[in-house]
Amino acid sequence: MAALHETGKGLSQGARNALPLLIFLLVGFAAPLLAVIAYSFMPERSFGLVHSPTLINYAGIFTGNSYISFGWSLSFAAFTVCILAVVCYPIAYGLSRVFGRWAPLLTLLFTIPLFVSENVRLYGWILFFIKNGVLLGTLKSWFGVELESWLFTRGMVLLGMVYVYLPFMLFPMTLGVSMVPNETREAARDLGASRFQVFREVELPLSMPGIMIGLLLTFVLAVGAIAEAKVLGGQTIIPITHDIEIAFTYAQNWPLGAALAVLLMIVVGTLVLLVLKRFDLDAILGRR
Amino acid sequence: MLKSPLSRRNFMQRSTALAAAFAAGGKFTIGEAEAAREKELNILCWEGYNSAQVLDPFRQSKGATVKAESLTNDPTMINRLRAGETKVWDLINVNNPWARKIMLPEGLIKPLDRAAFEPYFEKMMPAFKAPYKWAMDDKGEQLIGMAQRFGPYSYVVNTDKISREAAEDQGWSLFADPANAKKYGILESDDWNVFNICCIAGFDPFKVHSDDEVEKFTETAKQVFKGAKLVGDIATMNQSLVSGEIDFHMTGGTYSASPARADGAKNIRAITPKSGPMEGGKGGISWIEITSTVNNPELSPLATEFLHYVQDPKTAHVVAFAEGTFNPVAQMGNKECFDLFTADELDAIQWDSLEEEMARSVEYDIVPDYDKLLDIMTAAKKEASAG
Repeated sequence: MAALHETGKGLSQGARNALPLLIFLLVGFAAPLLAVIAYSFMPERSFGLVHSPTLINYAGIFTGNSYISFGWSLSFAAFTVCILAVVCYPIAYGLSRVFGRWAPLLTLLFTIPLFVSENVRLYGWILFFIKNGVLLGTLKSWFGVELESWLFTRGMVLLGMVYVYLPFMLFPMTLGVSMVPNETREAARDLGASRFQVFREVELPLSMPGIMIGLLLTFVLAVGAIAEAKVLGGQTIIPITHDIEIAFTYAQNWPLGAALAVLLMIVVGTLVLLVLKRFDLDAILGRR
Repeated sequence: MLKSPLSRRNFMQRSTALAAAFAAGGKFTIGEAEAAREKELNILCWEGYNSAQVLDPFRQSKGATVKAESLTNDPTMINRLRAGETKVWDLINVNNPWARKIMLPEGLIKPLDRAAFEPYFEKMMPAFKAPYKWAMDDKGEQLIGMAQRFGPYSYVVNTDKISREAAEDQGWSLFADPANAKKYGILESDDWNVFNICCIAGFDPFKVHSDDEVEKFTETAKQVFKGAKLVGDIATMNQSLVSGEIDFHMTGGTYSASPARADGAKNIRAITPKSGPMEGGKGGISWIEITSTVNNPELSPLATEFLHYVQDPKTAHVVAFAEGTFNPVAQMGNKECFDLFTADELDAIQWDSLEEEMARSVEYDIVPDYDKLLDIMTAAKKEASAG
């Protein structure tokens, strides 16, 4: 064993072994990120990294109305997370405690949509909700009820986001709920705790790791959402990701797109760090 | 204790070996590709040229590997070449002004053998006779691409809601009429939407604009986006027109309406306004695709062979009705090609009015202050979304 860890003057055996992965991460993850950051300091509408750095793109963002897009992305992500937390907790509880032998089948049903492209699923909703489509067409022909279409509204964007990101909240949450030992519930009940007290003081804190991971994962994914606003919302709202896409495509303004992307990373990163500071994942995972 | 580190070490060794093999494999593949470019062709294009109907016969006849990537806006394709992908692509298919005004001056494409390709223009429709402006460089000396698909592209109406005549007479003011708020959609085609907003505002898009015009553009953009029920892709526009969600949409033309018409929705019709603010009082805008050879240091010899291949009357008909959108092709000037089109196909591409619509349209061009106008329009779109 000692021979295995013989390092000499160079890198340790572990570091040498980790080198391929490290290079892969550097090339695959850090390099594109650095390129984006570097581009954000290039003059507007330039296509190389050979120019003198400038803050003009950031200045343009702060004087323009990109705050509207940031606002939409962050608020819709926050709404999505709140709705999913309320919707998913009972389902997660059911999957781990109530549904018994049906739980794997239900889990499968929640998983299957993930095998279908997000865009296909969203276009499916279009056919369902469109005027004279599956829902409104059926109501009209069977019951003579003629309702206004709900498509291309902000509500539909939210519905689409809740629908798309549900599994990303549900599965970590189910894991969290299933981590709570039944004995702790029984002990709390034996000590006279009410059902609500058991939920508030035992279930919720002990399942918090799963809930937190679900909240963070869903939030980060939802801030990056674009298809829901484009397909179901008919661009009723322009999320920041769409703003970035326009900058990189029609506007041919890579530096502006890069600056928007960097700001989005900073905003999301800061929010996530603030949450992590408030809820120490290590502590709730029981590592210390 | 011993088993775990050893298995981890084995894993790392295997991973390292795998990574090395992968790297070697990748290098080998690239080297092999470089050596075998005569059997490889990469095409960057609008949809249709990437379809199996178009590519498979070529692949089979040449025994070649043909990769075609389709994008739905010109600037993105040009950017791909600017970003260094001239080493990747052999052919690029974009709308008319880009080859002559942008890609050739920037050294992104290279000229074709005029003697070999110019004769094809003689068999095309009369508007395309050689020397065809958009296929030539500024001096009219070099042939820089080949023409094929084209069409008028202004707006589309549901004729059950607005008659063709009324839509043609009213022109772009359809989109400025407050009575039409939330009755129309906007195709997610931002470059064309800049042109359209200029037309709605009452001035020619293809020139440098005065401060007053820019101000008018700003107001119009805000008003048009606030009044729109939705902004979306072609499929969504056609779905919304057919279902009754909207009555009309911009930008649109034969290109976008033809799939709905081919599917039987003959009430969906591309409209070219009878008059407008452009040169000669024209109100419509048309596009013509030009396919050019990329300035690839190792250009595949198949690039020019493919350009010959798509000029064949049968292939030209397949290109016109390849999957996606359906469009007229310049090769319809050749009777051998024209006869391949069925009555339904001609109806889908509105052959009955094509000539007059093209005559009422100016050809798509570069907007000198496009960047400024696009930024204003993007801001207006965001402002409209804020309510």
